[in-house]
Amino acid sequence: MKRLLTVAVLAGCVAALAAGCTPAAQTVPRNAVPSFRPPVPAGVQDPAVVPSAAAAGASDCDPRASLRPGTGGATPNVDRIRTRGRLIVGVDQNTYLFGYRDATSGHVVGFDIDIAKQIAQAILGDPERIQLVAITAAQRIPFVQNGTVDIVVDTMTINCDRLKQVAFSTVYYDAGQMVLVPRTSSATGIADLGGKKVCAAAGSTSIVNIADAPSHPVAVSVADWTDCLVMLQQGQVDAISTDDTILAGMAAQDPNTKLVGTPFTKEPYGVAMSRSAPDLVRFVNGVLERIRADGTWATIYTHWRGGPAPLPPAATYSD
Amino acid sequence: MAVLTGRPAAGSAVRTLAGRVGRPSGGRLGGTPARLSAMMLVLAAVGLAGGIVSVVDVVQRSSTVNRVTTVSGPLTVQAQQLYRALSDADATAASAFLAFGQEPAALRQRYEGDIASATAALSAATAADRDQPTVARIAAQLPVYTGLVETARTYNRQNLPVGAAYLREASALMRDELLVAAKDLYDAETAQVEADRRAASGFPWLAVPLLLLGIAGLVAAQVYLTRRTNRLFNLGLVGATVLAVALLGWLALSWNGVRAELSAAQRDGSGQVRLLAQARLDALQARADESLTLVARGNGGDFETDYKAAEGRLTGRLTGARDAASDPAVRAAVASATSDAGTWRKAHTDVRAADDGGRYPDAVSLANGAGQDAFNRVDADLAKGIELTNDTFDRRARAAAGALGGAAVGLSLLTVLLLAGLVYGFEQRIGEYR
Repeated sequence: MKRLLTVAVLAGCVAALAAGCTPAAQTVPRNAVPSFRPPVPAGVQDPAVVPSAAAAGASDCDPRASLRPGTGGATPNVDRIRTRGRLIVGVDQNTYLFGYRDATSGHVVGFDIDIAKQIAQAILGDPERIQLVAITAAQRIPFVQNGTVDIVVDTMTINCDRLKQVAFSTVYYDAGQMVLVPRTSSATGIADLGGKKVCAAAGSTSIVNIADAPSHPVAVSVADWTDCLVMLQQGQVDAISTDDTILAGMAAQDPNTKLVGTPFTKEPYGVAMSRSAPDLVRFVNGVLERIRADGTWATIYTHWRGGPAPLPPAATYSD
Repeated sequence: MAVLTGRPAAGSAVRTLAGRVGRPSGGRLGGTPARLSAMMLVLAAVGLAGGIVSVVDVVQRSSTVNRVTTVSGPLTVQAQQLYRALSDADATAASAFLAFGQEPAALRQRYEGDIASATAALSAATAADRDQPTVARIAAQLPVYTGLVETARTYNRQNLPVGAAYLREASALMRDELLVAAKDLYDAETAQVEADRRAASGFPWLAVPLLLLGIAGLVAAQVYLTRRTNRLFNLGLVGATVLAVALLGWLALSWNGVRAELSAAQRDGSGQVRLLAQARLDALQARADESLTLVARGNGGDFETDYKAAEGRLTGRLTGARDAASDPAVRAAVASATSDAGTWRKAHTDVRAADDGGRYPDAVSLANGAGQDAFNRVDADLAKGIELTNDTFDRRARAAAGALGGAAVGLSLLTVLLLAGLVYGFEQRIGEYR
């Protein structure tokens, strides 16, 4: 017992000595990790302020129905464009493949721009007599209403709510909302994204559809579509959900993403015009009729989306 | 009166002694010699206190002035450089992005120079003031910012629109975090200079009353002694009085010199530097907005609103700087900046007309041509004005330090001589009673 005690005391001494011999660490001020907020795109809303679902969900109309082309009456609005000598078109500069600024040439190009050029060609006889005004999604309706632009060709979905504010041509492209996720994601559609952050542009129908999805994802809105891709790449959102057209453009910019699921909405794209310019609507529908029939539509599709073109969307007329 | 000092005649001593006997109140004080000793001690204490407080005052004042010239002044310049370099990086990154295809080498170099000088100013600020929380904020976010800019460049070279989105995110980080922190730092350093300047200009409230009290006491003592001894003057006490007045005069003059020089340093130097530096930052902000409006490609409405606000502030500050300018060279620089800002405003109107008219490539070449040139001139004009006024501040602050030159040694010497005169003067009288 006594031996044990001695050993214990000795061990204690040695331990104390060792502790005493260990050189005291130089005192360096302990750096507190500064409060750090990861960078986010300007104007991001997380969670998004979602426009009232009732308005967007209004279905008291046939969104695909438009005015029948060329009835032969007076065409004051078309004449006004002819007098001016150029067609003013609201377009997006940031939707890859549909309407974007080619950084090498400096020109805005894409599927929508080719459609607009067909209309300029028909009105003015020259596809280059066109003035492209780069606008945002939220500017599309006000710019048509206040006459800043003659037409908007900007991946714009026709719906009953918008039909109360602007007039639309017949459908020139049938898109549908899908989901873009990182290649490593196990999600196979919007149903797998409950509670996850899903990004879309502010003021778009996509943001409403995300908020209304039965799986209850968290909608995050940004000022510009490409901001969604930035946030996905930075891991700030789990997915992007919008029209397959826009998502295809993003997937083309980042091979580490994939488009998943089947389209869960119908997004018929139309050319937006003023409600007080029915003659222009009829004229544009005439142009669309022609390019569906003569293969121009298919050529444009193949040029931008690649692969064989499907059948162009069929026109529906309300009169 | 030929005899100023020396032993009084025996008769006078007797008379004084008789007077003392006849005054019981004096007896309580222990007689005239004791009373004189007490007076001497009190006056010596007041004189010594006045002298020490004066010396401490000038030593402290001198150290505060030195802090302005060697620490807070240069730190303000560093903070201002940091703020400017960051703003310039923001504007330059956006301008470089605008050029289609390859970014111009000159703009790339300018951006890299901005990041280098921001980092250098940041390390200087860190070394001088470890506890400054804004420095840590900038240090944490600057690498994130540069990373975003490089990502934006890489995508842009591949002709992918997501590059512009990265640049917008970088600019948002710069404006919402980095520039806010840089402004806080600059404001804090400017406030420190101002606080130092006020402290160095403060009236010596302790020393002056003590010295006045000492002088009053010396005069009273001499009046008393004259009545008691029939001697009009006491050489020691007259000398001490003269020295006390000299002490007070030196102290007051050096205080006034420091105050006047530092006030001029503020008026002709730091005050104008602040106005000009702010004008320069507004110009940079406006330039960044001009470019970002175009980079945003149709989504730049907010940037154009910001441009108008920054441009309005620039005009206002230039007017303020013109009114404040006290040096013809500075006034000329401000006038030149004002006229160049006018040229830039016209160029901007053309840029907007082209962009709003759908002539985007024209807008870009105008912004990168006439717009960039006019902005560069405004920036150079303001840089010149800032350099001139910074020099004025330096010169004035050094002059303030000069106003205190030798004051500590001189005042100490005067105090010692004052005490010597005092003791000598009293000792002579006290000795007469032994």
